[in-house]
Amino acid sequence: MHRTESFAQSLRKLSLELQEVDFAQRGYHAEILLTADTLRDFARLMLEAEYFLVFMSAVHMSPAIELVYQFAQFNSQSRILGRLFLDADGVVPTISDIFQGSNWHEREVKDFFGIVFQDHPNLEPLILPEGSEDLKPLLKEEDKLKSCQEVSWQPAEAEGENEAAEPSGSEKS
Amino acid sequence: METAVLYELLRMLISVVLVVAFVFINALIMGYLERKISAHIQRRPGLMEVGPHGILQLVIDGLKLIGKQLIVPKDADRTLFRAAPLLSFAPVVLPLIVIPFSPKLQVRDFDVGLIFILAISSLNVLAILMAGWGSNNKYSLFGAMRSVAQNISYEIPMLLSLLAVILMTNTFSMQGIVQAQGKIWFFLVQPVAFLIYIVASFAETNRAPFDLPEAESELTAGYHTEYSGMGFSLFMLAEYANMFVVCSIATVLFLGGWHGIPLPFGAYSGAIWFFIKAYGLMVFMIWVRWTYPRTRFDQLMNFCWKYMIPFALVNLLVTAVLVKL
Amino acid sequence: MPELTKISQPHRFFLNMGPQHPSTHGVLRVLLEMDGEYIIEPQPVLGYGHRMQEKLAECRTCTAFMPNTARMDYAAALPYNHGYAALIERMAGIEVPPRAEYIRVITSELNRIASHLLWFGALLLDLGAFTPILYSFDDREQILDILEDITGSRLTYCYFRVGGVSKDIDDKFVERTRAFIKRLRQRFDIFEKLVTGNVIFINRVKGVGIIDADMCRRYGATGPVARGSGIPYDVRKNQPYSVYSEFDFDIPVGENGDSLDRYMVRMREMEQSLRIIEQALDKLPEGPYRGKIPKKIKLPAGDCCFSVEAARGELTYYLVGDGSDVPYRLKIRVPSYSNLSVLPELCRGMLLSDLVAAMGSLDLVIPEIDR
Repeated sequence: MHRTESFAQSLRKLSLELQEVDFAQRGYHAEILLTADTLRDFARLMLEAEYFLVFMSAVHMSPAIELVYQFAQFNSQSRILGRLFLDADGVVPTISDIFQGSNWHEREVKDFFGIVFQDHPNLEPLILPEGSEDLKPLLKEEDKLKSCQEVSWQPAEAEGENEAAEPSGSEKS
Repeated sequence: METAVLYELLRMLISVVLVVAFVFINALIMGYLERKISAHIQRRPGLMEVGPHGILQLVIDGLKLIGKQLIVPKDADRTLFRAAPLLSFAPVVLPLIVIPFSPKLQVRDFDVGLIFILAISSLNVLAILMAGWGSNNKYSLFGAMRSVAQNISYEIPMLLSLLAVILMTNTFSMQGIVQAQGKIWFFLVQPVAFLIYIVASFAETNRAPFDLPEAESELTAGYHTEYSGMGFSLFMLAEYANMFVVCSIATVLFLGGWHGIPLPFGAYSGAIWFFIKAYGLMVFMIWVRWTYPRTRFDQLMNFCWKYMIPFALVNLLVTAVLVKL
Repeated sequence: MPELTKISQPHRFFLNMGPQHPSTHGVLRVLLEMDGEYIIEPQPVLGYGHRMQEKLAECRTCTAFMPNTARMDYAAALPYNHGYAALIERMAGIEVPPRAEYIRVITSELNRIASHLLWFGALLLDLGAFTPILYSFDDREQILDILEDITGSRLTYCYFRVGGVSKDIDDKFVERTRAFIKRLRQRFDIFEKLVTGNVIFINRVKGVGIIDADMCRRYGATGPVARGSGIPYDVRKNQPYSVYSEFDFDIPVGENGDSLDRYMVRMREMEQSLRIIEQALDKLPEGPYRGKIPKKIKLPAGDCCFSVEAARGELTYYLVGDGSDVPYRLKIRVPSYSNLSVLPELCRGMLLSDLVAAMGSLDLVIPEIDR
């Protein structure tokens, strides 16, 4: 699905670009770099393209927390990972009105990382008890915090993998 | 004259003691039967530890319940909460006074015996409502409200089905009704009424599949959620005694009461037949409980008002016409 | 609770269902705003069984986390083992011998059947029928016995290892499994007669808790919940992992997405699982049951995910590695979490009794949701 021209076109309108990755190595077919401004439009696009939200979560790294959105389709093999690096002001819009399932995922991320989602209907603690807003258990301590490069696939490697992934990818779609 | 009064008083005293004792014994028997039969239905041995095949388990359980602390919830209405189990106990004892176990074994034969039983046993609803309200627990209140709605609704088809029999016997006396069945038992003459009565009696005794007032998967335990120790066991005693009462009525009105093939026990054979029939019906109720899922409340009410009452009315009408002819 | 601190109308009231309640299966709490017996607004409250498994994963080596995976969905732990082992294998590039893959499939499917049998009994218990659970437990017990022999535990298995499984299966296992397949096929008839054809049961579940395909997409509901709504989505088919592509099996789907459809889907899924096990036993290759793995498994820097079909839906592990043997971040996407999030929309305006039926048909395992 994500390889069709119309889908790519709609993405270009949002000035987003899909990057194919090696499924055998990573477990998802493509990744996309999102920004806080494009997130909601992207989510709407995904809903129209009949994707569902597998999960959303966050990874604490320096310099910024990365939000991860994974979408997949019920009727075809297509798994897309959206990455969103939080700005310095840390403002992220909610997508819980588009994908209602993300309501709880966003509350969970608020519990564990303290990220505030704008316009979320109810950001009270979901899994942690009330009054534990300052706990933020999944934030890394200073000495354990790694930089973005340290926890990403090395570009040279990824490029080589990408080309190898091409044939297997097209046969699946 | 004086000795006659004294004699009558003594008779009353003894029979009351016997009746109350019977309620307890009945609960022991039924508790054992229920647990043992349910176990065998579910392919497990059930009670095995205390006594041979666990016969004494219920005695031990009774002692344990007596020894338990009576807990009254903090914000409960203490008077209502305490009074409810007692009140539920009373109306199931009184009907036993007029039930004819054999031609002679009966405390009193009233002319209005059946009406007496039906009037008294409706009091049970009041006890359940008191328990539900007094517990100050929403689940209890749910159970109580359901129970009231259900019992009052199902009393109507129950009465209508009994009325069909009364039209044929022309008497409310329990003994008289039994005697009228010397030739043929009424469940053969009045199969529709019998069926309606049996279904309604499940609802009246709050037994599965109509056990909505105490539906544990929805309301934890319904109206007796907050009860412990003897408070709880009085409700259980009342439930089993209630089962016995409705099954006795079915036996008297439809299954020929103490009639039966003569047994080699002389005067006792009537009573033996009566108990066989009544307990047979109760075992049937146990069987149903451990087989079927529970209905939903609106389905239960629909079934009563849309099917059972019209059928009971038609049945009554047909009976009335046929009797008049 | 926050959304519900104010009662909108004077005659409405709150009902606390759980954390200790017979039909919330564990420690789920559902706060209900009620109008009589009708539910105006249900709100699940989670976290009573929360253990912060995701943080635990960051504090130990990736292989040492394996036992924890079984502590989430304790009713079907082997698919959780499977997903995690396969994730580490994918990241570290470890080959798994074919025999090990077959053993994984056989045991996972056995576990899936055990989980569905447990659900079958629990749903009927929710509906007030006491007896079916003891019949289904009879069969489940057989599976637990079979699995106990090879895995060493009855519930929270830690049987799969990175690169294979911890112990080979023997002829006795194959024999017992074949005997069990034969037995369970006969038992389906009993379940059919005892439950599926029962008019009270049908009336309790038919048309209750309708989830349509669009709702599944918006909430990310997967597994039998999505399949009951007519979506033929099964990770085993959609994105075949392990050796599932070698087997011939169907994905049962429902039409209306009500509780009855979800019930039927799960019942038919058990038959399909039996088919898979049968084929796997026939094809079972010889060879090692555990591949060669390095002493210390280093996870490369980068992220990776692996999805498997757990008994309740799609389970996805998402791992971010930093070049050491300890995961930098592990996110576990559990199926029940998304399936339960449907509840507020699903149960608005329902009767209390229907809520119990609908929740039972979602097949919730709370420790999995709370992690």
